[in-house]
This record gives sequence, structure tokens and C-alpha cells, in this order.
Amino acid sequence: MVTREEIKNIALLSKLYVPEEELDTLTKDMQGIIAFADTIQAADVGDTGFDNINNLSNVFREDVVVPSYDRDLILKNVEGGEDGCFLVRKRG
Amino acid sequence: MSESGVRRMIAKLSRMLSEKQISCVELTKAYLDAIEKENNKLHAYITVTPETALNTARAVDARIAAGETLRPLEGIPMTLKDNLSTAGIETTCASKMLQGYRPIYDATVWKLLREQNAVLLGKTNMDEFAMGSSCETSYFGGSVNPHNTGHVAGGSSGGVASAVAGNLAAYGLGSDTGGSIRQPASFCGIVGLKPTYGAVSRYGLIAYASSLDQIGPITTCVEDAALVFDAIAQYDPMDSTSQGKQSSALPALQNDICGMKIGVPNEYFEGLSDEVTASMNEAMRAYESMGAQIVRFPLAPLKYALPVYYILACAEAASNLGRYDGIRYGYRAENYNTIHEMICKTRSEGFGKEVQRRILLGNYVLSSGYYEAYYRKAQNLRGAIVKGFDEAFASCDVVMAPTVPMTAFPCGRTHSDPTEDYLTDICTVPINIAGLPAVSVPCGFDGKGLPIGMQLIGPRFQEAQVLNAAYAFERETGEKSFQAVKMGVQI
Repeated sequence: MVTREEIKNIALLSKLYVPEEELDTLTKDMQGIIAFADTIQAADVGDTGFDNINNLSNVFREDVVVPSYDRDLILKNVEGGEDGCFLVRKRG
Repeated sequence: MSESGVRRMIAKLSRMLSEKQISCVELTKAYLDAIEKENNKLHAYITVTPETALNTARAVDARIAAGETLRPLEGIPMTLKDNLSTAGIETTCASKMLQGYRPIYDATVWKLLREQNAVLLGKTNMDEFAMGSSCETSYFGGSVNPHNTGHVAGGSSGGVASAVAGNLAAYGLGSDTGGSIRQPASFCGIVGLKPTYGAVSRYGLIAYASSLDQIGPITTCVEDAALVFDAIAQYDPMDSTSQGKQSSALPALQNDICGMKIGVPNEYFEGLSDEVTASMNEAMRAYESMGAQIVRFPLAPLKYALPVYYILACAEAASNLGRYDGIRYGYRAENYNTIHEMICKTRSEGFGKEVQRRILLGNYVLSSGYYEAYYRKAQNLRGAIVKGFDEAFASCDVVMAPTVPMTAFPCGRTHSDPTEDYLTDICTVPINIAGLPAVSVPCGFDGKGLPIGMQLIGPRFQEAQVLNAAYAFERETGEKSFQAVKMGVQI
């Protein structure tokens, strides 16, 4: 059964903070969800070789420069950025 | 209903426009007025786009005045689920994380419809990042069911289904990762088509689980679903899984299903409510009376479909949602000291609880020591489910199943165990796992007057066959299976 410590570790890997007071409830929820996922362990299935639905293989386009989006347009979602770059404020 | 018992909305509106019974601006204003009046009851729309809609409507009227022939979806007021990118128009995924986000490009499906002068009324509500079955995980509050506003619209495309059933749009596009088009269509008593994996480009769809996601229409009738599918199912080099359609669906609606073999998997009839069981039995009798043959068969791997789905979908979601770091778009936490703290706070404050739970499950099943036991085993079971359906289609033309084991549940239902909500998806997820096309069509009502839906499922890229079977049922059963809600725009 998944433990409180394991949930803390998975949350860290997922870059999520879980407040200490919510950890017990989350652990209980995750125990239920993982027990539900565990039901597949009863299945008797070997390697079915499944890779993707339509048996697709990767395709590559020619390596040529094509027009892309305007930098100022891309930066609009972060209030224009600064000097053409994304801006992350320095703290501390 | 209209001529010869065929239910149609889009063709009727198109004819009204081309015959100048109503102008496109008048029609669009009627829908915008209805949204203004009813949206506070249904919570179907997150964003309404009157300027975009009326600009398009004016362009359509100019083309009509110039004697131009209208394209099939030209001038028809419609909506998009709020996870489909629309350049310059807020696209939130019903999440605090993307509140205020304005994409810089259009999703391919919207580009195709926009080029036909489709009239975009607005963006509709959904479960946050499409994770949910009731629309109640929406950051903005869930959409409700036009048949009974005390009940949910379903999810995750609950807003589209609520808007279309409530006559606040003629049709809409949703996305379906585990049933998110078909389940709300079933709950709201309308038609929802999940196309074959690869038939419709997902470019510009904000990703949930990329090996399962598909975009499709939610409409009031089968003919409209065929019309919209034909418009959006086109090969697109911007989606590496795109293949387009093999044949157009609309010409296949011939209402001739005599001799059609309809497969019914035994496993699909376990755990249904009595009313859903009765409705499915009646549907089988209706098909037999039309000359179809019902073939029952076992599909044993189906019993593992639900956990397989949640393992694979969450694993993919954990990767897809890794992009939300607060740097390039969307929400960013205010107070932090390091970049790591900024990213963690952004994600913890920006994502809702269900999204966080699914990210955690995804990273758990992908983590060292668990990958083989969960992810790899789920992939092998996925292969077994694909094979099971492929074998079924060797002896039947389409497969029939309920869409949801129950009708729309009351708003605010809570469970101590989050997996109880996942059971809502038990009939729909196998189709995404196998990449098949399936349409949900209304097939009756429960004792409270809430709609019941059934799925018709076909071999990959056989949307035409699936829709023809649905069309025959729709014509045969008429008002026994579909009743329009008296709200919104009445045509």
C-alpha cells in the first residue's frame, strides 16, 4: 500500500506542493486509486506487442527553415516579456 | 422533426439563410440573446464571442446578397469546447492555470470551420483539463443538464452538450479521451460522435492523453454529426497521427440496415441500471424489426478496460501537463524565492484537486519499480482489448452498447472514494483504448424524464457505417428517443 512518504516523494517529482494538513486525505485518496489500478494484476496477459493504434511510424519533414510565429506575439501571454525574452523575477 | 421523418438542424438553418427567411445577423443575434438569457441557468459558456460571431454573420449575409452558394456549415451558429485553441480568444481549459490565456494560433478543426464561415458564439465549459465526468471539476463551476437543471450535463464536454441540448448553439465540437463527447451527449439526450483515432487532427487541442484524445461533433441529430464530421476529418501534417477520413459520412446515411449484423458484447450488460437495460433491450428489438441481426459475443478483456484507461491516460497526462510551469503562459504564483518554488507553487495553486490526483497517479505508474507492473501491463492489456474488438468485427458490422450505465446524476454528488466517479466511464473508455469510432444516440428516457443513450461502434475509419446504423434507429424511433428542450432558440 502506498505510504504517506511515497506520496510526498511523487508530489515532489510532479512539482506539486501538498500542504501537510492535506497529506493524510491525499494519501487515502491515492491508496484507493492505486488499489483500483492494481486490479489489472489479476489479468493473465503476455506481451501483446502493442505500440500504437494505427501502426504508425515517425515521419520527418525536410530540414528546411520555414516561417514561425512572431516573437512579440508569443510573448503577449506574459505581458510582453523583457528584451524579447520570457521574464522570471529574481527573488530573495 | 421535418420532412420524411428526418431530424435535421444544420440543413434547415442553411436553407432558411439561403432562402432569405432570416439573415445570418438575425439568426446569430437570436442565439446571442438566448445565451444572455439562459447561460446563467446552464453555465454552458465560459466565454461568449459576440463580436467574432457578428463579424462572421455580416460576411455571410454579404455573400448571400451577392448570390453566392452557401457552404454546408456556412453561417451556422456553433460553439467550441474551451480546450480547442482559438487565436486571440481566451482558451482556459476550465482551469485557473489557463485563465486569461489567449492562443496565438487556431486549432486545425477551428481553422477548417472558420474557412467555411462557421459562426463562433463562444467557448464552452468542461471538466478542468477534460478530467472528469460531470463538468463539476471546472474552475468556473459545472454546466447543468437542460432536461433537469438539478442534474449534471456530464463531462468532460458538458458545456457543449448543455449548449446544444439547451438550443444555445446549433452544434459544437468537443473532445473525447475516455467518453467526454459521448457521455455528456447521452446525459443531455443528443448525438455525440467520437471519430476514429487519427481521423480528425488534434493540432491545437490542449492535450490530456495523446494516444486517446479525439475531437468530434456534438449535435441534435445524426445527419448533423455526419455533416460536421465530413468537414473536420481531413489529413493534417500538423498532427503526426492524422490520417483523415476514408469516406464521407453524409452520403452513407441511406436508412438501409437490412441484413446488418450488430454485435452485443455480454460484458457491456453488467452493472447497468434497470432502466438503461430495458432501453437497450428495446433498441435491440427495434433493430431486429428493421431487419438487422443481433449477435451476442464475449469480450473478456473488457473487464480490465477501466483501470487500463486510468493508468495510461494519467501517465500521458502527467507528461503533457509538465509544460505548465508559469513561465511562458498561464497562471504564475506570486510569492517565491527560487525557480523550483515558483514552478511548484504555480502548479499547486493553478491545478484543481482532480488534475493533481491524476498527475500523481501518472507519475507513480511511470516511476522506477512500478513501470512494468502498471504501465507496461496496461499497454499489453490495451493490445488484448484492440485484438478483441478486431476479432468481433470479423463477424459483425457494428457493435452496440450503452453509453453510460446510468442517467445523469444529481449535481453535487460526492464520494468518499474518487474512483467511484470513474465508473461512469466504464462503457466509453474501451472505445478510446481501441481507437474506434463510436456515436452516442438518444434511445429513451428514465422515469424522471432524463435521457438514455446508446453507442454504435465500428471498425476503425468506418464512421459512415456507424452513423448509418444510428440514422436508421433515429428515423425508426422518432420522439420515443429524442425530445427537444423548450429553451433557447426555437427553430
